Amino acid sequence: MASPQDPVFTASSVKLASSASPRRHRRRIDPKVWWAYAFISPVLIFLLVFSVVPIFFSFWVSLHSWNLITPIPEMPFVGVENYTRILLYDDVFRRALVNTFVFAFWGVTFNLVLGLAGALLLNSRIRWRPLWSTFFFLPIVTAPLALGMMWTALLNKNFGLVNALLGSIGIPPQPFLSSPEQALGCIIFMAIYQYVGYYVVVFLAGLQGIPQDYYDAAAVDGANARQSFWYVTLPLLRPVMLFLVVTNTIGALQVFDLVFAATTGGAETSGGGPANSTMVVVLHMYNTAFKFFRMGRASAMAMVLFVVIFVITLVQLWLLRHRE
Amino acid sequence: MKGLTGMAMRRSRLTQPFISILKYVALVSVSCVMLLPFYWMIAASLMTTAEIIRTPPPLLPAEPQWRNYVDVVYAVNIGRAYLNSIIVSALTVLGILFTSSLSGFAFAKYHFPLKNVLFTIILASMMIPFFVILIPVFYIVKQLGWLNNYAGLILPGVVSAYGVFMLRQFIHGIPDELLDAARIDGASEFRIYWQLIIPLSGPALATLGVFSLVGVWNSFLWPLLVVQDSTFNTVPLALNNLRTYGAEERSLNLRMAGTVLSVIPSVVVFVWLQRFFRRGIALTGLKG
Repeated sequence: MASPQDPVFTASSVKLASSASPRRHRRRIDPKVWWAYAFISPVLIFLLVFSVVPIFFSFWVSLHSWNLITPIPEMPFVGVENYTRILLYDDVFRRALVNTFVFAFWGVTFNLVLGLAGALLLNSRIRWRPLWSTFFFLPIVTAPLALGMMWTALLNKNFGLVNALLGSIGIPPQPFLSSPEQALGCIIFMAIYQYVGYYVVVFLAGLQGIPQDYYDAAAVDGANARQSFWYVTLPLLRPVMLFLVVTNTIGALQVFDLVFAATTGGAETSGGGPANSTMVVVLHMYNTAFKFFRMGRASAMAMVLFVVIFVITLVQLWLLRHRE
Repeated sequence: MKGLTGMAMRRSRLTQPFISILKYVALVSVSCVMLLPFYWMIAASLMTTAEIIRTPPPLLPAEPQWRNYVDVVYAVNIGRAYLNSIIVSALTVLGILFTSSLSGFAFAKYHFPLKNVLFTIILASMMIPFFVILIPVFYIVKQLGWLNNYAGLILPGVVSAYGVFMLRQFIHGIPDELLDAARIDGASEFRIYWQLIIPLSGPALATLGVFSLVGVWNSFLWPLLVVQDSTFNTVPLALNNLRTYGAEERSLNLRMAGTVLSVIPSVVVFVWLQRFFRRGIALTGLKG
């Protein structure tokens, strides 16, 4: 009979052991798994503390009345009062919402057109391309605060260079940032100036990703330059455009630095002037939270804008995908 | 290109030079607009207050007033602000590079339970706008005792979900055979990260580094909240103090001198490393 010394028995048991045991062994305590968890732990801990917990905390605070000093368990619960207050009674907030939409819509629209035009220009056969592109991209790396200050000086109604230049071609001096009618337009212009280079770079990368064969095929079919632009370039740039519209709308709805630089510090310390014509949501939220210490109300503003951004993003994704 | 240009040439040998001239006119005029603020910033920073408020303004200062720059240094202690900004930017960027490459490596090259769930959470956190979490983060930082010091300026920013994503994509392309070879040679997992992954991720790290450097250097809203006295001013905060330093017509030259000083590092870094910067933008554009 087979005994433990039998070579057949030994071989088969060894084979069994080697096929089952190490695999179970690896699944349970592969040290590499612990290494992987160690490697991702800094990111997870920081995101937990500085992103995930705060987003829930923010919502929680928006249902309370809080001045940042009262201990958290003692904040009075007010339900949706902060929301009804800002949406129904806070004229400045509603004005800020409208201004923020107007700012984002025109800023993104103009930059899409100008950015595409700039990218086509830089992608065509020109000399000194690196020089031109450096000029286009310079404002992207400049702090919005610094750019806001530069344009505020240029657009000064009394001694600004822009009014002097307009005067030299016979246009009367404009009030620019000191006029409720023109101020938001000036801020939109500053934002266009600041970010157009970003659109140019992304469009340029998109243009360079279109295979030359497509243009050759269009040319063989008798397409002229305009037709190949409408029927080859534009459709193939759709994903790039989708990306630009979505990310830049999200960014534009959060505008703060530019408005802060251009409108605070003068007679109206809270900024967003004149007469709230340039008040935007994040600036109003900043004032509410850190000037008046109404954290609940400010958090409600943040949640409203967050939901707005979320919905707008979904609508844009749907619209731009849908037409394909 | 051959087909299309061939046709265009045949069609319009006459309009071609005209279009070309038009292109250069467009390029030059756009460049003028793009450079106008920079030109005026430099010119005004060297003017006297009398020159600045003259109408029409002179295009160049009669005599460059270099002492405006000296005055700025005294007015808002911009030297200290520079030091703070350099410390904050350097440590933040190093933190981002370290944490991003470490977890990018883990997500690219290891299999572990909950991997996809955790990665999805990290990606989702990219969608959270900063203003939504501003108040809670401020409160947490306050409770930790990090207000008005370097910790508060640096630590909330040392993790970048975008960086994790970018490094994961890049490290994914590094062949597994290299890692296995290092393991056979007895290298520990951390040593593989440090001596293999880091050197091979150079281009991705450079792109992420330049990208985050410009972002951190220019950031304003968060430092505005954390810093409560001028000892910890970063450069944008010093610039902001300069804005309220005096009446506009009497301090515009100083403001512009301060702006010049604050803009120089970004512009230098950009011109020097612009290919990394552009690649970063193009990457966000195409991967998104």
